[in-house]
Amino acid sequence: MTENRVVAEGVHKAFGDNKVLKGVSFTVEQGTATTIIGPSGSGKTTLLRTLNALDRADAGVIRVDDVEIDFSTPTPKSEVRRFQSRSGFVFQGHNLFPHKTVLQNIIEGPVFVQKRPKEEAESEALELLNQVGLAEKRDQYPYQLSGGQQQRVGIARALALKPKLVLFDEPTSALDPELVGEVLSVIKDLAVEGWTLVIVTHEIQFARQVSNQVLFTDQGIILERGTPEEVIGNPKEERTRQFLDRILNPL
Amino acid sequence: MLLAALILTACGSSTNTSKDPIKSAGVLRVGTEGVYAPYSFHDPSQGGQLAGYDVDVARAVGEKLGVDVEFVETSWDSIFAALEANRFDIVANEVTITDERKAKYDFSEPYSISEGVIVTRKDDNSIKSLADLKGKRAAESPTSNWAEVARKAGAEIESVDGFTQAISVLNDGRVDVVVNDNISVLAYQAEHPDAPIKIAAKTDERSNQGFAARKNSGLVPELNKALDELRTDGTLTKISQRYLDVDLSKAAPRSTWQLILDNLWPLARAAIEKTIPLTIISFVIGLVIALAVALARLSSNVILTNIARFYISIIRGTPLLVQLFIVFFALPQIGVKIDPFPAAVIAFSLNVGGYAAEIIRSAIQSIPKGQWEAAETIGLNYVGALRRIILPQASRVAVPPLSNTLISLVKDTSLASTILVTELFRTAQNVAAPTFEFFALYGTAALYYWIICLVLSFGQSRFERRLERYVAR
Repeated sequence: MTENRVVAEGVHKAFGDNKVLKGVSFTVEQGTATTIIGPSGSGKTTLLRTLNALDRADAGVIRVDDVEIDFSTPTPKSEVRRFQSRSGFVFQGHNLFPHKTVLQNIIEGPVFVQKRPKEEAESEALELLNQVGLAEKRDQYPYQLSGGQQQRVGIARALALKPKLVLFDEPTSALDPELVGEVLSVIKDLAVEGWTLVIVTHEIQFARQVSNQVLFTDQGIILERGTPEEVIGNPKEERTRQFLDRILNPL
Repeated sequence: MLLAALILTACGSSTNTSKDPIKSAGVLRVGTEGVYAPYSFHDPSQGGQLAGYDVDVARAVGEKLGVDVEFVETSWDSIFAALEANRFDIVANEVTITDERKAKYDFSEPYSISEGVIVTRKDDNSIKSLADLKGKRAAESPTSNWAEVARKAGAEIESVDGFTQAISVLNDGRVDVVVNDNISVLAYQAEHPDAPIKIAAKTDERSNQGFAARKNSGLVPELNKALDELRTDGTLTKISQRYLDVDLSKAAPRSTWQLILDNLWPLARAAIEKTIPLTIISFVIGLVIALAVALARLSSNVILTNIARFYISIIRGTPLLVQLFIVFFALPQIGVKIDPFPAAVIAFSLNVGGYAAEIIRSAIQSIPKGQWEAAETIGLNYVGALRRIILPQASRVAVPPLSNTLISLVKDTSLASTILVTELFRTAQNVAAPTFEFFALYGTAALYYWIICLVLSFGQSRFERRLERYVAR
């Protein structure tokens, strides 16, 4: 039996009076890809952000790799940092550091946080850039890259820290349609390589192809959870069907 | 000036009990104007060094007592405030001995006697005696005894900063009269035979001038003993002949161009030694303060935020000149005495800190939240994110407005002239006072300020280009 890399139990999160997550529980097995789909406002991005404590859950227990935090009790900052260090995060709007070159963006974490030797970090960064097909862009600034290239650098930056879990927040939503493919194919390669991934996405076909598990969120809960064939191919819930229908047949 | 007056009324005096306090201190610190010819001025015929009747008498007293004499130059209206603040031990500046002053200060025996005269423009025949001053406008240092004489005679006082300014506003026709001591007027006339002024009348008041010291200072016996010796051995007469025999032919006045040429280097030196270091040091310290205040202002801690708000509000809501005077003249009253240059650095740093804090705060806030989040996800803590990710980007936003602050600061340092820092402007004042060449010397000073600011603007645009290398054009 494979081990769970993520275990979330009863996660709650509210912004003021707006209850975004109302008791969410799920697991992610090591070396698998999980996609989160659902209508906008259903809490999928917030759910992803609680896995990295970018948004602190108000209640619930989340374990990522070997670090478990009970968010209903106060947690020391250092423990939160340890929790955060287990995952990498790829933003919808890449959030690359504009004042640093591609290479400097990628080695920032390894060199200045993990204190690894610069030469070692650089050669690893170049390998990652090769992997995402951008080795020749190493000394360019982010503004000199296309949206798809920026997003691929964002992925390389997340991977450089060798996280146990990589989180993607709608990685292709901000891209022009013709650039979506290059980013998705990079993510697909990562899944094949055995990284543990959690991806919030609107790309249903992509979710179907890449994921081992699909979570359908609606109104702050996980309404349906299963394999792509189950959730996308043969949804049990009416709301899941409606959502998929709207996405797949927008007209 | 008001502040200085307030300080005067709230003064406290220290008492010195040792037998020969000056000798045991080994040094006599003397406050003087430096712009009141022929008593205390920078003498062009002596290479621009501080000289004059009062200055030389003070030097001779120091020699008699076997101590060093240190001069501290300050404007007349701050001179008693500075004396109270223990910036120096005595004032040597033709201080007329009056009953009011005797109540507040110790006085030596007189070393000079003077007679008041009323000066008008040549074409003004309306004044024949003190009684005719009623309703006239007189230019005077507001705290001088001459102002008191004019006020009692019914004149309206226009406040000016010393005799030099008084005579020049009279020349310009901005006031009707100046009441001052006859010798300084005669000295001025000897130097400027074409000046459109005349002595219209005498005040019929003879007055005595002596050294003023803080009450109960214990300095008077030593001062008097030295003065007695100087009188007996003829030194006083010799000094008086040198400066006060105004009918003696003087060296021909230099041409304006020669004066400017002669003073190019002294003014440049004042800029290099005082104005520029004062600017740089204050700006750097100010930026550190500003960063701390900006972060406090942005913090989630309510107390910190409010302290920062209060600080910014105080600094921006009060005049820089008042801030300077508080640091220099007011703090000594609660026992904090700071030398002129460091005092100026403190006041300017605090001022820059208040203004730059808001610039830095808004620059930090202009950086998208996603940058903080991205920094957090790669494991940087608050300080690391700030230092490596946020501030480098914020600096691009902050540099243009901070450059404005820096350039303003260069010019604001001229205010330090009011708290005894002999920076560029004060040096120009010192040279202008005995020669009355205001246009030439203030023009030269202005040119120097402009050059410094030009260099800074040039540096600013280069720096901005460097910071913009990562921005799409």
